[in-house]
Amino acid sequence: MIRSIKHFIKSFTLFELFQGLGVTGKYLFKRKVTIQYPEQKTPMSPRFRGHHALRRYPNGQERCIACKLCEAVCPALAIDIEMEERADGTRRTTKYDIDFFKCIYCGFCEEACPVDAIVETHIFEYHFEERGKNIITKEELLAFGDKHESEIAKRKAADAPYK
Amino acid sequence: MSNTDKQFVTITINDKEIEAVPGSMLIDVADKSDIHIPRFCYHKKLSVAANCRMCLVDVEKAPKPLPACATPVNEGMVVWTKSERALTAQKDTMEFLLINHPLDCPICDQGGECELQDLSMEFGSGTSNFHEMKRVVVDKDIGELVATEMTRCIQCTRCVRFGEEIAGMREMGATGRGDRMEIGTFVEKSLDSEISGNIIDICPVGALTAKPSRYHSRAWEMMQTPSIASHDCVGSNVKLHTFKKKLVRVIAAENEDINECWISDRDRFSYQGVYADDRVEKPMIKYNGIWKEVDWSTALDRTVEKLTEVSAKDIAVLASARATLEELYLLQKSMRSIGVANIDHRLRQVDFNDQESSGAYPSLGMKIADIENLDSILLVGSNVRKEQPMINQRIRKAALNGAKIMCVNPLELDFNYDVDAQRVSNPVEMIKTLAIIAKASYILSKTEIPAGLNDLFTSVRLNKADKVFAENLIASKNSAVFLGSISMQHPGYSTLRALSKAIAGNTGSTLAYLSGASNSAGAWLAGVVPHQKEAGQKADIIGKNAGEMLSKTKKVYMLLDLELERDSDNPQQAKAAMNQADTIIAVTPYANKTLLSLADIILPSAAYAETSGTYVNAEGTWQSFKAAAKSYGEARPAWKILRVLGNKLDVKGFDYVSSKDVRNELQGLCENVNNENPVSVEGIYTKLDDVTSQSLYRIGNVGEFSGDSLVRRATALQKSNPEQNAVQLNAKQAALLGLKDLPTVDNEHAEKEVMVDVKQGEVVVSMPLLINDNIPDKCALLASGTKSSSLLGSAFGEIEITA
Amino acid sequence: MAATQTILTKHETDEIDMWLKRFPEDRGQSALLAALRAVMHEDHYLSTEKMDAVADYLGLSKIAVYEVASFYSMYELEEKAAAKNTIAVCTNISCMLNGSDNIVEHIEEKLGIKMGETTPDGEFFFKIEEECLAACCGAPMMQLNHVYHENLTPEKVDELLDGVRSKASLKNKEVS
Repeated sequence: MIRSIKHFIKSFTLFELFQGLGVTGKYLFKRKVTIQYPEQKTPMSPRFRGHHALRRYPNGQERCIACKLCEAVCPALAIDIEMEERADGTRRTTKYDIDFFKCIYCGFCEEACPVDAIVETHIFEYHFEERGKNIITKEELLAFGDKHESEIAKRKAADAPYK
Repeated sequence: MSNTDKQFVTITINDKEIEAVPGSMLIDVADKSDIHIPRFCYHKKLSVAANCRMCLVDVEKAPKPLPACATPVNEGMVVWTKSERALTAQKDTMEFLLINHPLDCPICDQGGECELQDLSMEFGSGTSNFHEMKRVVVDKDIGELVATEMTRCIQCTRCVRFGEEIAGMREMGATGRGDRMEIGTFVEKSLDSEISGNIIDICPVGALTAKPSRYHSRAWEMMQTPSIASHDCVGSNVKLHTFKKKLVRVIAAENEDINECWISDRDRFSYQGVYADDRVEKPMIKYNGIWKEVDWSTALDRTVEKLTEVSAKDIAVLASARATLEELYLLQKSMRSIGVANIDHRLRQVDFNDQESSGAYPSLGMKIADIENLDSILLVGSNVRKEQPMINQRIRKAALNGAKIMCVNPLELDFNYDVDAQRVSNPVEMIKTLAIIAKASYILSKTEIPAGLNDLFTSVRLNKADKVFAENLIASKNSAVFLGSISMQHPGYSTLRALSKAIAGNTGSTLAYLSGASNSAGAWLAGVVPHQKEAGQKADIIGKNAGEMLSKTKKVYMLLDLELERDSDNPQQAKAAMNQADTIIAVTPYANKTLLSLADIILPSAAYAETSGTYVNAEGTWQSFKAAAKSYGEARPAWKILRVLGNKLDVKGFDYVSSKDVRNELQGLCENVNNENPVSVEGIYTKLDDVTSQSLYRIGNVGEFSGDSLVRRATALQKSNPEQNAVQLNAKQAALLGLKDLPTVDNEHAEKEVMVDVKQGEVVVSMPLLINDNIPDKCALLASGTKSSSLLGSAFGEIEITA
Repeated sequence: MAATQTILTKHETDEIDMWLKRFPEDRGQSALLAALRAVMHEDHYLSTEKMDAVADYLGLSKIAVYEVASFYSMYELEEKAAAKNTIAVCTNISCMLNGSDNIVEHIEEKLGIKMGETTPDGEFFFKIEEECLAACCGAPMMQLNHVYHENLTPEKVDELLDGVRSKASLKNKEVS
């Protein structure tokens, strides 16, 4: 009985309508979370997993030792490595291809790498214009690493205490 | 002790009751009942060292954990391998082992297949109490085959014990003391043992790895295919490792009856030859002297055309004894069905006089494993250590068990066991030497000398010391006479064989043939001999043998996996015959310059590991294998090529779908073939002129790494044995040439190379000279099958050397 | 086995033969220590060639000889050890506690060489490290040409070293 009276009053006073409009009104004056991409960008974790890169040591020597752990751990089988023995007796890659269509950006390769050679950078804005360009070669990865080394190093350092 | 009288004792391991032979080691017993005890230094084929301490287990009533590898089992023993005490001991041992072992598995070639890595996952701790500097050991270069990273060595001494106990020559040792102890050769030298590669397999860590396959791929990404090695008559079981369908490594597989768990270096490293530069990619036909790549049907049609346009009498078919049984059988069947009777595989043989007396095939006459039970062995013309390393291994075991080893050879050979009696004489004298032994065997066994041998026996004098050979053989319950490939290449083979048969017959010994190639027995069974069809049946028409085919030119030659200038006894003669022939059809994986200049049609066949097939080893065991690697280019397995050729030639019953069909058909036919070698002697067949005082006689047995097309292309093996490309004389003979201060064979880093001119027939070849005092006077050792000898004449014959 | 050609001297082969007689015939290895000692006595060090010669003479594999030679500290493998006099100061714990460091320092200063070096005139070789020679009761101690000298002081060391220095070299010193 009381229930039906309550319902009767609510219907005629448009209580629920105003309640809903109240929520709308509240958000009208609240601080906005929408980001005006690409002019604005969200903050990014140092662990963000974007475009891959191969790093070098400060003396210019490439880090990768062709241990193939990244290839072994890759769940999408996106990495393809071939290797050789260099004249100085070290093992190095002759081929380091990542298929970005296969890659699921899980970051396992970075986790597996014993020498911090393969990393997933903060760069996520890239595209391919031709068929086949989705396979990124060793040269491209190294060049990419060279270009962004300072940023990569910074992010690695920021994350280091938590590893 | 009453325990030792009993046949079995009962012990308890981890609450499980196990029957064991008294006195056997705990680790052995545990292994047999699938209880795993961690270990590094223990190896079932080597002596117990008990120095790694990884196998410590908890034994009831023992005050401390005991090493399972050095603890004999006793009645009522109670053992726990996973109790807290055992685990603590194992974990502590692991921590000690890791003190000086680098923890950089990702850069180590052994990573992924490393026993230390595996066990440290199980017993290793995340931290170590050791914070001081790790020691570093400088790497030594120990040759072309084994790469070293001695910092990784955990001093289990398996390699040291292998050298001493299995290889019979100590090359690795533990020098220094305490924490400065190092495993190595001390002085920089390359390993000389013919089975040195096995230390790669037994090394539990990455200290010793294979140099040719170093850093080619990682352990987990290779596919493993069981297969059979193809360079000797043993048919060692191997595992082929392929990466992206390319053969990258070969390791030993276990087969107690054949190769135990070892393989020779030749079988391990020959795979490099598969990807040689001169592999043929596509079928080719030579039109007016210019090679043109064609498709398969054109090439096969042309082949059929060439084979059918001449009379079958003018066709010569030669095959390698390394080809598979299926290939040889299809070749034989298709060629005989179009009437070709000239078919052979014995290209290095010179003397074919008694070919009918071989039986179904020249076999070992016993099981390979039985060799180690022999009491006395006579080796006739066999460098068994280099030719048949795995047979040599069995002979060595027999020798260590006290067997009497005797040999008759044209040069003094280096054995890794004690030889009780040895006769060395130049190749021609060798017949007389063997005749003396045979004569003694007739006298001692009171057997009547057959008329055929009378002349030879009256020409030789028997000394008292010569009787020891026959005496030993007669006195032994199990004895054997081995005929090696030096004998088979010998121009007086039939005589040597008759004498060996006589000795074997008179002394009750087994006659055993150590045929050179992996499928010599298979070639006989497949009927690739002019006088026999498949399964040892007599041929309808007896064709020409290899010697006759190459000395008198035929119009058409069909070659299966052969390089005549290296695979035949007399390269000069072979090349002359080829030059005059109308058509040469070569089914081959490789085409070197000589073949390109001589041949007319090249049908590219799959190389080793790229084809399925079967090898029959000397003891008569049929061992089939699958293809492991992808064929190169458009090359096809030779059995498929020959099957299609058979179809095109309208041969009946050529509907095989797989190589297994071919094998099954032949196996059905061979059911009643026995592997006994007849020992009846009719007479002697060849007479050789004595070596004249002026000339030099060539001893041209096949070099260790020059026997077939595959091993000749294996670069690491070739580099590891430069001696086989040199001509070798003793110092006295060299002095006669006016040469002094020459490098010797065992002098590893010879500073200078002395070149001499070697003349055989009309050709003069310049090659390095080495001094080897094991060679008798008036003789020169010059291996056949090598590059320099491919220009010369017969392996056994007169040569001239000038400074 | 009687070597056909060997670079071992008559004295060395005589010595080895003498030792070989004491062991069963096929136990050439037993005479190895003595054989190497004989070579040490002649050359003051073991060259690879001499070790190979010993291996051939005794019918052993070469590595077996290297193993023994590199194990015992009484054998020297480097040519620089071939000085007239060898000084070996024990630096193990008892001697160290009793001041072997001072003795080492004193010798180094006196001879002008570091441990492991030989004086330029070839008079003294100062062994790099000597393990305990079981004379702890007389620590610090040293071995001078295989003779034990205990309870060392710098003065005593001076006396000992000057005592063995050959007259010829003393004369040289006076002249210079």
